[in-house]
Amino acid sequence: MSSAVQTEQERSRVRAHRRRQSKNWSLFLLFAGPNILLILAFIYYPLFSNMYYSTLDWRLGSSTATQIGLENYAAFFTSDSGLEVWRVTAIFTAGAVLGSMILGLLIALVLNKKIPGKTAARTAVFSPYVLSGVGVAMVWNFIFDPTRGGLSHILGFFGISSPEWYLNEDWSLFMVIIVYVWKNLGYCAVVFLAGLQSIPKDLIEAATIDRAGPIRRFVSVTLPLLTPTVFFLLVTNILFSMTNAFDILRTMTPTGHGTNTIIFEIYLQSFGAYQRAGYSAAIAVVLFFTLFFITAVQLRFVERKVHYS
Amino acid sequence: MKKINSRTTTGVAALSIAVLALSACGPDTSGEEEEAGEGVDWAEVEPAEEIVFWSNHPGGSVDQEEELIAAFEEESGISVTLENSGATYEETSQGFQTSQGTGATPDVVVLSDATWFPNYLNDSLMAVDEVLEAAEVDTGGYVEALYEDYNYEDSHYGVPYARSTPIFYYNADHYEEAGIDAPPETWEEVGEVSQQLMEAETASSAFSFPPQEEYPAWWMQNLIWGYGGSWSDEWDFSPVASEQTVEAIEFAQEATDDWASVSSGDPADDFGSGATSQIVQSTGSLGGILDTADFEVGVAFLPGGPEAEGETPTGGAGLMISADSEPEEQLAAAMFIGFMTNTENTAMFSEATGYMPVQQDADMSAVYEETPQFQVAVEQLERARSQDNARVFLPGGDLELSQTLQEILTNDVDVAEEMESVQSSLEELYERDLASELE
Repeated sequence: MSSAVQTEQERSRVRAHRRRQSKNWSLFLLFAGPNILLILAFIYYPLFSNMYYSTLDWRLGSSTATQIGLENYAAFFTSDSGLEVWRVTAIFTAGAVLGSMILGLLIALVLNKKIPGKTAARTAVFSPYVLSGVGVAMVWNFIFDPTRGGLSHILGFFGISSPEWYLNEDWSLFMVIIVYVWKNLGYCAVVFLAGLQSIPKDLIEAATIDRAGPIRRFVSVTLPLLTPTVFFLLVTNILFSMTNAFDILRTMTPTGHGTNTIIFEIYLQSFGAYQRAGYSAAIAVVLFFTLFFITAVQLRFVERKVHYS
Repeated sequence: MKKINSRTTTGVAALSIAVLALSACGPDTSGEEEEAGEGVDWAEVEPAEEIVFWSNHPGGSVDQEEELIAAFEEESGISVTLENSGATYEETSQGFQTSQGTGATPDVVVLSDATWFPNYLNDSLMAVDEVLEAAEVDTGGYVEALYEDYNYEDSHYGVPYARSTPIFYYNADHYEEAGIDAPPETWEEVGEVSQQLMEAETASSAFSFPPQEEYPAWWMQNLIWGYGGSWSDEWDFSPVASEQTVEAIEFAQEATDDWASVSSGDPADDFGSGATSQIVQSTGSLGGILDTADFEVGVAFLPGGPEAEGETPTGGAGLMISADSEPEEQLAAAMFIGFMTNTENTAMFSEATGYMPVQQDADMSAVYEETPQFQVAVEQLERARSQDNARVFLPGGDLELSQTLQEILTNDVDVAEEMESVQSSLEELYERDLASELE
């Protein structure tokens, strides 16, 4: 074969390769393009816009603003109110995550037994999770009302006066943690139940034959094999409790009295009272990186403790 | 010379485009003053054929608003689109603020006493004096104290619409049971009759203060004004920690240790259910209280103090015109807000909702006949006083004051120290968020 023919064959191979590549790219753009555009427009553009706004001294709705660099961040990390926000966020997150997961696990252990009405019980446990946070909070507002609420009547029956759920900051925080846990534990219970059902029965039977009691079986067999589920729930619950609790907080404590977590502070600073859109944007950026950091740490270090098999 | 590779160039270009794109959609950060446009010659302007009105329908007034709009459309030939702007004044203001520059700004908007000022600062509201004159709206008929609430730097930025004041509510059955003949006229007398109510054990509480969510800094201006204090004097915040203000708040704190309590929710609910015998609450709550109470509801002027007869702070909402609208739309909007608040229509609106009639000559005789309590509320307007800047004009001022009041009323804290602390907070808010713009 002459070199001219070889060159011509090489060229046609290259042309065919390019055509294939071009076709692949067209197909990729056809299918993925609209999604990429949507993600860019509705996730990354607002994200980077918000980062830009966080460097401004800008009142909500004003057509003008002043560039102030990182002053908003400095103000948030050095002010007393900023520190108080971190304290409340830490307590709320710890209470909400631990409460949901521990109670969710206990409920899942019960639902994993052969009990009558199991399906109805599972539905009942899960249903609060899909209810509107505002609706849930309104119902609980009625329950907690110290004058006319259902709880005050029950406590009164035992001669106990109702705590000042709405006037005392500590009770307010405890109150919203209870409501959040009640709404969220169905989700944890269902995920734990799926985890429990995936544990091979022969391992439990082997432990039983080795005369391991129920607590020993749970601690030495069930719990280690549940660690992937625990890890998954830990990550998602921390993220959810820091971002998804706003509806309950806003409805039960409209001015954030004792319940001013970081997500509430973002609202309060921009829309709620102070009109500081730039400062609020800075707190939103801090929240974004906090969640990013928590997730990265969990993936890097906590995941090592997980038994996947 | 170091070579710049194509990747670096592409990266820098992409970053530059991104920064330009981000800054293009945000606020102007150039620091250049926008040139003031030439004044509008209203004689040359024809009203627009269509305008948009944003309302949260104060007091559940959607039916009345639709009725008034239909009457206006028939009379003027101008079409008005009524759009729901949210459930509260705050939501309406948030919507109005975030709509700026989007092309979706309404021509007329309902803004409250505490939410119109930030919109004024944003240059989102037009001064209405000239356009109301062009629309032949007689502003001399408005109740002066209510109209003057929208006056800043010698221009008005709205007209009164759904306005209210606080009044003193008492359970007349409880009064009779305790042998009390007449409602108190001073705060000292409130303490005395409350002691009688406590002794008669008529309710679990003789008087209820509102929690921080229920705007205690609003009506408690009456208490501190009565003692000669105030939250502020223009932009001077020292009066909030003055001897007079501290004395008034100490009176309230001592009351909560004795004959008063702090409500956990809306005090009107506690009063309507008979759990408390006396409250101070908006006139806008009168209808709801009369509907729920199974006892005789008495109302009286707000009590006075050692230094002043019971002055009443004004409240509620007005109608504002967007500065973004075209002159044709602004003229049509002025005709519309004049119509909505004229003598006949304010009487109709007031009768249906319980808000104050905003015109001096509004005929309220039919309402007074059916609800005599309402007459007390309207007569009390003679004692109306515009609110202190610290509460209504300073963003965050009301919340700072409300949080402090709740802290004082529910804990055994030193009042003078708390008021000095809130003075510092108010001064910080002013210096940080307002001072440079107002100078």
